[in-house]
This record gives sequence, C-alpha cells and structure tokens, in this order.
Amino acid sequence: MSDVFFLVLRRLRAPLILLITVFAVATLGLTLIPGVDPNGEPWRMSFFHAFYFVSFMGSTIGFGEIPYAFTDAQRAWVLVCIYISVVSWLYAIGNIIRLLQDPTFQQAIAERSFQRNIGRLEVPFYIICGYGETGMLINRGLSEMGIPTVVIDYNADQTSSIELEDLSFTPIVLTADTTEPNNLLAAGLNHSNCNGVIAVTENDHTNLQIAVACKLLNTRVQVICRSEIQDEAENMASFGTDTIINPYLTFAARLNLLVHNPSLHRIQNWFINQQSAEYLTERALPKGRWVVCGYGRLGKAIQTHLRKDGIELVIVEAEPEARGAPEGTIVGRGTEAKTLHEAGIMDATVVVAATDDDANNLSILITAQQINSNIYTIGRVNKEANQSLFVQAKCDYIMRRSQLVANEVLTTISRPLVSKFIKYSSSLSDEDTNILHDDICELTGNRDPITWRLVLDEQESPAIVRHLANGRTLTISQVSHNDLLENAKCIPLLLLRGGVSHLLPAGKIELQIGDEVLFCLKRYAHNMAQRLADNTELIDSLINKNPHHIPLFRWLSRRKKQQQELS
Amino acid sequence: MNSEKVLFAFFIILALSLNFGFFVGHFADPEHHHPYELFGAIIVSLICTFLKFGDRTSFGSTVLAASLVADLQLIAAAIVWGIAGINGVETLGNSATASIVSLAGGALVANLLSVILLIIETSQLRK
Repeated sequence: MSDVFFLVLRRLRAPLILLITVFAVATLGLTLIPGVDPNGEPWRMSFFHAFYFVSFMGSTIGFGEIPYAFTDAQRAWVLVCIYISVVSWLYAIGNIIRLLQDPTFQQAIAERSFQRNIGRLEVPFYIICGYGETGMLINRGLSEMGIPTVVIDYNADQTSSIELEDLSFTPIVLTADTTEPNNLLAAGLNHSNCNGVIAVTENDHTNLQIAVACKLLNTRVQVICRSEIQDEAENMASFGTDTIINPYLTFAARLNLLVHNPSLHRIQNWFINQQSAEYLTERALPKGRWVVCGYGRLGKAIQTHLRKDGIELVIVEAEPEARGAPEGTIVGRGTEAKTLHEAGIMDATVVVAATDDDANNLSILITAQQINSNIYTIGRVNKEANQSLFVQAKCDYIMRRSQLVANEVLTTISRPLVSKFIKYSSSLSDEDTNILHDDICELTGNRDPITWRLVLDEQESPAIVRHLANGRTLTISQVSHNDLLENAKCIPLLLLRGGVSHLLPAGKIELQIGDEVLFCLKRYAHNMAQRLADNTELIDSLINKNPHHIPLFRWLSRRKKQQQELS
Repeated sequence: MNSEKVLFAFFIILALSLNFGFFVGHFADPEHHHPYELFGAIIVSLICTFLKFGDRTSFGSTVLAASLVADLQLIAAAIVWGIAGINGVETLGNSATASIVSLAGGALVANLLSVILLIIETSQLRK
C-alpha cells in the first residue's frame, strides 16, 4: 500500500475513534433509558432501533422519533447526543479537509502521481534538469516533436508555470533538487525508455554534478550539458558527457565563420534554423576594427576564437585587471561616447556589446550607432524578455543565449546527422563550401533547404534493403538524382557508416545495409531517396531499368498479354 | 512507560475479555448471552482497529488484520441478532443464539491472537 493511504489512516485515527465512541455512548444511552409504547406499557429500545436512530441523528438527517414517540427522559438524552455528535462530526470533517490541504499530504499525492506517470511512459523520453529560459525552449521544442519530457527543477515557481504553457505534450514535473541522484532516479533515469538527460541549470557546477551522476548511474543514456566555463566543460568531457554546449564559444565560432567563410555560415544557418525562431544574419561581417565592449565569457570567446587576419580587435572593459583583459584594453564601460571614441569607434566596422547587463548593452549599441551610423552592431541578450528591445534598437545580429543552446540541443536530439554535419563542415575548404552553397542555392532556387535522413534498415527503407540483399548495387548518386524524376533531386551531405562520418560522400560510393545518409533538398519537394526507400517497383524501373506501369495500365497490359496468350 | 502502548494494550485485552464474557455460557441459551456485552465487544474491537490504523510495523499490520477479522465477525453477529429481532420478536430463538455465539467465538480466536502477538512483541522488546 502507498504512503498516501497510510498517511490518511494515521491522520484520521483520532477523529474516527472519537466518532465511534460518541456513537457507542449515544446508542448505549438510548437502549438503557426506558420509554413508553402507545399502550402505556414500559418499553426499551433495542440495539437495532437505537443504532438506526443514532445514525440518522448523528448525520443530521433526522427522521423523527421512532418507533414510538419519546419520553422526556429520552428526549433529554437525545438533546445531549445531538450536540456531541454534531460537534464530533464537524471535528472529523474538519480534520479530513485539513489533511487535504496539508502540504505533506499534497506532496505525497504529487510524488505518487509522478511515479505513476513515469512508470506509464511507453515511448522514449528525455529528462530536462533546470527549467529556466533554455529548459523552457527545449521542452517546447521536444513537445512539438512529440517527445515526452520529465522536468526537474528545485524552484517551485518555475515548475508551476509549466501548467500555464500551451504545450501539446504536458511534461511530467518534479520539484526537487536536481543534484540529488535519488531525484534523477525518481525521474526515470534507469527507465528503459529514458533516452537522455539534458542539464541546463543556471549553474555550471550543478550541470557537472548532474552529468557525473547520470554517467555513473546509467552509462547508456545520452547526456547533454550546457557549460559556460571552459574548465567545467573540460571536466564534463573527461568522463564522457556526450554533448557539451557552450553558447559563447558557439557564438564566437559563428562570428568567425561570418567573417571568414560566410557561405559555410549560411549553410549551417539553414540546417540549424529549420525549426527555430533564432535569427541568424545572412550578411557577411566586415573585417576591419572590431570594438568589443565587455571582456566576460563572450568577450573572451571572441578574443580566442576569432581569426585575426584583417581584424583589429579593440576591447573595452571597466575592470580590465579583474577580468584578465589583454594589454591595450580601453578602460570604461563603453556606454559613454568618450570611451567609444577612445576605442576608435569612428572608423570601426563592428561593435559587439558583450557585457552581462542588457541595459548597458543597449546603451552601447545606441551610442555606437549615433557616433558611427555605418557600424555593424552585435548585441548579447541576457534575458530573453529583452530581446524585443534589441530588435527595436536595430541591432544587426542578436545573440540569444537560451535560444542558441536550445537549438543546439534540439538539433543534437532530433537530427543527429545534421549536428555531425555542422561539426565536421568546418573542415571543408572554402572552395568546396562555395560549390556546395551554390549547388544548394541552385537546387532550392535560393530558398532555405530542408534535410532528410535515409536509414538503410528493414523498417525504414525495406525496398532498398531488399534490392541490396539481392546482390544488386546502389550508389549514392542513384538515390539522390535521376533524370526521369528531375524534381526529386537531392544533395547528399553526410554518410554515416559504422560510426564513421564521411562528409559530402562521392556519388559513386555504393550503399551498404546499415548506412545512414543525410540529404538536403528543396522544401515541399519530392525526395528521390525517400521515394525509393519503400517502393520496390520504382527501384525496379529506375535502377534496374525494367519497364513498369502504373497499376491500371499494368492490369490492362497484363490482361492484354493474357488474351494474346489465349488467342 | 509509553501511554500509547498502555492504551492499546488496555483496549486489546478489554476486547478479548468482553468477547470472552459474551461467549461463555450455554451455547444456544439466549439467557446466557447479554446484548450489552456484544455491544461493548464490538465498540472496543473497533477502537482497537482504529488505533492500529496507519501503523506500518509488521506487528501493527498483523494486529490490524486480526482485529479487522474480529470486527467482521462481531458485526456479523450483531446483524444476525438484528435480523432475528425483526418483526417484534422479543426473545431470541435457540438457532439464532447459536449462530451469534459461534460468530462471537470466531472473533474470540482473532482477539486471542492479537493478545498473543502483543505478548510476543513486548517480550521481544525486553530483550
């Protein structure tokens, strides 16, 4: 039996015993006090009648004096009983209601329903630790993909807001300390359907603790962590955290691409952006003098990850010594025109407002635009709610930290091949990148492409697997393009074979069972690979070059053949 | 001394003794079995049951089970009595008395078991 049941019983012990006693005394009294029957003979109430009378009297129903009218002595006793029984009923009911409102009781109920809901999960699910802005975005994304989630956060205000959200899949919520392994286990870490844990709490160290606990308790689950401090990230990586996302490094890497290899940035942007609201600029960033205001996590990431050829980086920081800023740093917050002038804002090409204060960032951007109207502005949004202010301030490129992390997490979970492609695409040469970019533009008519994954297994692509099992071959170019179906063309981006990724696989590579291929294609268009996957006849006609007809014609031709044979 | 334990031991022994008091006498003679004794036995047995509500020790749950058995038998006896007394029959018949007393006898065994359990638990505590 459950905790809740025992709790109820224990709490109701006193009121129930009181009720029994009161009923017993009242019943006993009624049987003892002599009455008179209609004939004037002395009469005593039997236990049966007495209990009947007390039952309806105690519950204030009151059917009257039965079986005969009472004597004064009986009435006096009933008067006493009425008051005692009503008071004890009120006490008992009051106790029950108080129990229902009791936080302990409600917590016991909540834990019970939580455990039951976890046990009922029959499809793969993810555990999200920390329900801040990022957790909320990830939860929303997963919910839209139809993946159930379990949310743990120690803050009851955060978790109670989930109920108000308009989600297609309501997550299972636990308000508890995320660092306690027991809570992770309660959230279903060892559940056979638990696919992964996403640690996106505010605190890097907490994320680290969650990652350690998850890897120790269940090595099978995928662990995705947000980390904003490099030391913690390295620590996480050292014991096998699957994916570590540092929004500042990611953003700095994107800035780097935007300057030095805008085509690759555009390609990555297309694939990351498929389902998100994150705004990524499509304009290449100019070289020249960059003024970076604030040498915090973002400032440092830019300093270390931006390739310096053609770029002169000027850092503005109010506390250069405390933050360990490099030599030549301009002292000041950057919100005043004087400091910006010192940093050479007049002939700068880009200004980055990278402090951890949104008001300061806005002030920097607006001041810089007033001084130099041609400057390209990049702003860091710390609180998602302030994002609209940055849009109003005509900031050219906005870094939305929560959105950035959420996008990375969702891409990793829902499109693992895309995140592999993005990871390895930086190794492409500029020339290859430009060719790929032009190919995609030509394919889609300069619109955003989408990606599609071909998995060569019995379930996902039975026709191709059967084709290969028959000893025939199929090359990548055959599944991505055919002259007869010009509209269904797609571009192969990545081939995953035996855990090894092959970037932009050559068309002559022959497919093997178990391969996974990532294609990129025009939105709302047919997809050659997808059409071949489960269509044996299409493979037979396009690849094996056997003639085929659509069903009606096939039936007619078969009939014709039969008639010919008959005649 | 634990007042809660005294209270519980008191009620459980009282339940046994009341039950026994009702049970003794000639088996089918209504004169030997007084309704007030049965009433008392029922009430005390119910109180025993409720005192063990929510007790999660193995002793508590076994005693709760035994005392539920006693309740069931005694209430069944009371119902038999009530049915036999319907339609203004003042005195009980021999067969009705026999069934009431046999039900009370069943309850007596259950109550006896509770007391034995109580003794075992107390003796274990001494060690």
